Amino acid sequence: MTQTSSGSARPKIAVLANIYKARLHTQHIVDRILDGYGWDGVFYHARLEVVSLFVEERGEGDLVPERAQRHPGMKVYDTISDALMRGTGKLAVDGVVYIGEQGIYPQNEKGQTEYPRYRFFEEIIDVFRSSGRSVPVYVDKHLSWNWDFAKAMYDASRVMGFPLMAGSSAPVRWRIPSIEMPLGSPVAEAMCVAFGGLDSYDIHALESIQCMVERRKGAETGVAWMQAYRGDEFWKAHQRQVWSMELFKAALCRSHMLRSARQSFTDVYPTLDEMRDLVKDPVAYHYRHLDGLRCTMMLMNGLVADFNFAAAIEGQPRPLSTQMYASRLAEGATLENYFNPLVHYIEQMMLTRKEPYPVERTLLTTGLLCAGIDSLFQGQSRLQTPQLAIRYQPNDSTFRRN
Amino acid sequence: MLTRRRFLGYTALTPAMLACRPLLRAGAAQERSESSEPPLRLAVIGSTYRPGSNMQTIADRFLVGYPHEGDWHIPHIQIVSMYVESLQREPELAPPPHRTYAAHGSQEDWHPKVAQSVQPPAPTETHTTASVSGESGAMADLSAARASEFGFRLCANIPEALRCGGDHLAVDAVLAIAEQVDYPRNDRGQILYPRYDFFQQCVEVFEDEGRAVPYFNHESLSFSFNEAQSMVATAERLKFPLLAGSSLPVTWRMPDVDIPLDAHIEEAVMVGMGPLDGKDFDALEAMQCMLERRKGGETGVKAVQLLEGDDVWAAGDSGRWSKELLSSALSRSDAIFGLTVLDGRPQDLVAGGVLPQLVKDPAAYCIEYIDGTRATLLMLTGASGDFTFAARVAGSESISTQFFRSPAPNNTFSACLAAKIEQMFTTRVAPYPVRRTLLTSGILEAGLISRRRLNEKIETPHLAAVKYDPPAESQYARA
Repeated sequence: MTQTSSGSARPKIAVLANIYKARLHTQHIVDRILDGYGWDGVFYHARLEVVSLFVEERGEGDLVPERAQRHPGMKVYDTISDALMRGTGKLAVDGVVYIGEQGIYPQNEKGQTEYPRYRFFEEIIDVFRSSGRSVPVYVDKHLSWNWDFAKAMYDASRVMGFPLMAGSSAPVRWRIPSIEMPLGSPVAEAMCVAFGGLDSYDIHALESIQCMVERRKGAETGVAWMQAYRGDEFWKAHQRQVWSMELFKAALCRSHMLRSARQSFTDVYPTLDEMRDLVKDPVAYHYRHLDGLRCTMMLMNGLVADFNFAAAIEGQPRPLSTQMYASRLAEGATLENYFNPLVHYIEQMMLTRKEPYPVERTLLTTGLLCAGIDSLFQGQSRLQTPQLAIRYQPNDSTFRRN
Repeated sequence: MLTRRRFLGYTALTPAMLACRPLLRAGAAQERSESSEPPLRLAVIGSTYRPGSNMQTIADRFLVGYPHEGDWHIPHIQIVSMYVESLQREPELAPPPHRTYAAHGSQEDWHPKVAQSVQPPAPTETHTTASVSGESGAMADLSAARASEFGFRLCANIPEALRCGGDHLAVDAVLAIAEQVDYPRNDRGQILYPRYDFFQQCVEVFEDEGRAVPYFNHESLSFSFNEAQSMVATAERLKFPLLAGSSLPVTWRMPDVDIPLDAHIEEAVMVGMGPLDGKDFDALEAMQCMLERRKGGETGVKAVQLLEGDDVWAAGDSGRWSKELLSSALSRSDAIFGLTVLDGRPQDLVAGGVLPQLVKDPAAYCIEYIDGTRATLLMLTGASGDFTFAARVAGSESISTQFFRSPAPNNTFSACLAAKIEQMFTTRVAPYPVRRTLLTSGILEAGLISRRRLNEKIETPHLAAVKYDPPAESQYARA
């Protein structure tokens, strides 16, 4: 590690990415490490030194040349292992940031993009093994499109003993309102009404739910089954109240982008018939935890364009509800500053070699995502999920509030 | 509280019911019927009810409700009359003298009866609007369509709106929203909004009746401090609650912070954007709602100077406003322009020295308070698209935040304001002092006078008299 002017260490970081173009995840995350970002009321510069970069997909719109020229300390390498070893023949960085999101990769029959996160991860731990030491690793979004791969990645980190951080920005964004699930709450049911594509924004919504419900009484005990609903089956389930109408309404009332069904009205709560007109392809992942908690993740394209959470807590007269706010959705926003807290926690992990929040959360949401997609693919059938009997304890509240 | 029964009652509305207005209103009546009291009767007076206007986005909330604290709140308030000023200047658009959409006989039957002589227009908004206004398309005035759908009286003048066509004051509250249609500007560039005129016409009715009702004035009280001061004095004399101003003081903040009550503020910087005599008022309101919480409360303003062009940057170089606070305020923005627009990179615009390139027409309202506090509103169109604030507080870290202007078309920040307006209407107590808006109206006017006088500093003894205490409780949205 190099020393900063204040004497503290600046970990050397290798960045691995699928693609590095404007307004893609790599740009948001790596630019913030390189150039700084708004944090705690100042323009903050991370105490990290990006020393190497490997980007798999280059070509038109590639930002690598401009960024490398402006940040000459960041050398561009042709392979993952070279980026990690920097010509020394062994691991020569203090941390790895892998952004395996976006870029052109094959899509499978279930509609999942087979991002190469497991392949990259294998190459990373090969270097760790051959070097006889390992360093903290950040993996953007869910661990893998494939549950077995995700489990293997998690297991490797436990066996080899390195900190692993993964997941969405949703758990650490601003919340509107700025509230947390009280630790130990008896949560009866939870929901996130969101938008976006399958195998894409659903993970953000699942993580929005999980970061809240993991704080419930008894902490996380895992998930027993998953059932997806789509199209007509969604509306039938909605009318049968498979999920709570009260939570659904509370979530919608946290939206800042609730679409009006009536011409000339700009903010009006839609009727059920209007919602059916607005949402052509509703999707829900409905699942039950082993302790009985029921959760529902909804993608309601056409109705909302943000991430809205609601939970019923026993003994409370009204749902607890909030929005996990993504700045890109606001008028005229140019900065996707919901990456700021994510980059902050990446820095924390690299500096402390401690996971800032439980990676088991993202192991579980990765499994939920896989199960949801599988349920859709298997005729919206209910799937038992014994592999998701994942237990963990929540840590301190980490959503953005400063 | 929302019960499942009420929710189902609401969501069970079908297109068939929507086509049949009495059924819809019956449904709404059920929503509101938890209170045994009759709904509060509201007159709305404004400039235009075009789509996207303030009148449309705010007055609609009293017709169809609004999101509030995780629920869809339906105010126990009924708009009974409306006056739309721009329609009066185009006679063919004005409501005919006898046009009556609703009769308000008994409390039990408060949903509208359509007068026999007038057939209500068909329920399709565009059709209705076109048939009444002679316009068609997205920008047609919606007041006639709303009147027919919700059963209120569209009036030819303000006294008629307050009396609902009768002989006596027949409303319990007034919502006034004057906004730009085609009002002229004076030689200072101020838009001559008829806010004082609206208010005075209401006051004449109040005085005739010997009874006055709560009054909300959207945005500044008047382009003239003298008129604004007279409005506040009149409300005090006639003892009716008066609330005014922008939605920025009550919208969500990121982070969710307020100035600690009685903090010693050394200096504050607010960043806004847009043309002068526009969003600068909203920015002044946002800054003032923070500063009024300082030690000693609000004790008035001593002088205002509006700087423009290179003088703005020179003032920063000489320490007249703090670059550190500007950097802090901009660190709260999610809309930074320049190279960020090109490729998404974050930028420290202050340290990078690029502000003069990005901001073609900078302006700074430099405000000196009586108690020595210094505050600067920097209008930096081209640099930032958010309204952000930073203050240096003695004995603690600086405080900075963004006042959240949520996206169009929902503009949910105006729901935060609607909740405060409703609170005043129903409790007859203004949740925060109208003197805040008296002061911001005066600061804005002084700034524009300064500009007219080639940016000289304007001593403001008249603003030294604007003293008030802030509300003890923070009033912005946080629940």
